[in-house]
Amino acid sequence: MNRKRVTLLAAAAAVYTVAAWMVAPGFYDGFGPAAPYNWVCPPAQAGSNIKPSSGHLSINVIGGVSDANSAFTNDGQIVIGFLPGAFSATGKSSISVDITPLTTCPNPPGVKLVTNVYQITANATLKQPANLEMVFSNLLPAPNNIYIADNPTGPYRQLQSQPTRPFVLQAQTSSLGYFAAGYSAASPPPGAVTVGGGQLLPVVAAALIVVVVLGGLPLAIMRRRRSGGAEGEEEEDDDEG
Amino acid sequence: MVSAVGWRPYARVGEIGAYVLLVEWVRSLAGGAPHAAVPSLVIGGAALGLAAVGWRAQSLGLDGSHLGWRIIGGFALGAVLLLPTAVRADAAPILPAGLALPAVAISIGEELAFRGALYAALDELGGAPLAIIGSTVLWTLAHAFSHPPAFLGAVAAAGLVLALWRWACRDLVAPVIGHVIADLAL
Repeated sequence: MNRKRVTLLAAAAAVYTVAAWMVAPGFYDGFGPAAPYNWVCPPAQAGSNIKPSSGHLSINVIGGVSDANSAFTNDGQIVIGFLPGAFSATGKSSISVDITPLTTCPNPPGVKLVTNVYQITANATLKQPANLEMVFSNLLPAPNNIYIADNPTGPYRQLQSQPTRPFVLQAQTSSLGYFAAGYSAASPPPGAVTVGGGQLLPVVAAALIVVVVLGGLPLAIMRRRRSGGAEGEEEEDDDEG
Repeated sequence: MVSAVGWRPYARVGEIGAYVLLVEWVRSLAGGAPHAAVPSLVIGGAALGLAAVGWRAQSLGLDGSHLGWRIIGGFALGAVLLLPTAVRADAAPILPAGLALPAVAISIGEELAFRGALYAALDELGGAPLAIIGSTVLWTLAHAFSHPPAFLGAVAAAGLVLALWRWACRDLVAPVIGHVIADLAL
């Protein structure tokens, strides 16, 4: 490789370092969350933060049966879908559903919550399970389940949950209350089973540099010994445009 | 006068460029559907890799010479790509283990498509400058489907580093290794 090429590569690496430094760390190939998570209590690493939004839905009642509809917050961090007739709607012409992010961040015993806690209320009783989806962040270990509680401080009960998309958990709930995603405090955080990121990253980068230095030296010595007088053969410049 | 043969390199660049953009667009759309993220990344990676079918290994930068250097170069590229995040490890996102295989698949597919087939076709058409700039522009456009606009500068700069390596060393092994390491670690 001649000096011009090395210089251009080094300049490009410097430009990349500056460009990557100007954005939040991590911009892998399209499997991050669609947007940064809006936190009530942002973790230290979150950087700038927008407060989470609330949501409101008015469900029509026709012939005593509530319509199918979905309530969601404006930032899309929680969505709850109701089937036709999901509510006891006798005597009502419409049903109001409200989603409000709790302004505090409870730390209930037995569960580690990794999202905001949202209170979902309605002015009618739920009589059929509703489908709930919660977005979570990639800055904290991924949650296993969505939890529900009658009080914000708990106790929180686990809802059978499954991931539907990266950074989205889905569960069914037969009652309304306080919802958050998390994992059991008794088990190691699911995020511990990860490939990279977090505190592992400096170790990976340092290991790569060590491998490059330790691996490059013997290769350089071998190449010098082998090439001897045949220098210059590999420095053809046939692709300069 | 431009003969029919003279248009062939243009047609080839157009075909490959349109194909890789289409694959990246479809996979980013499909990835948003429930349970489709992993399959869309794996299938998308394989589909991108198809762009390299029919090219000689040497044209793609994949001949076996100096393999030790190429692997070491891949680790060096990986270190460069990771460094801005490694020094801010507290803010580094976490890649769930379930996305490791898709990360490898899409990394290899993208390198074969952008720095492999597309680079080779552009090089054939207009030489190294066109290949470096053209492959970087299309790489950035393709990532506009899946990344917020704020990230595209860094994506473009990463593409430029990988394309310059491809030119300077006539090598695709190192960009593949560096890209896989970066995607796995971030």
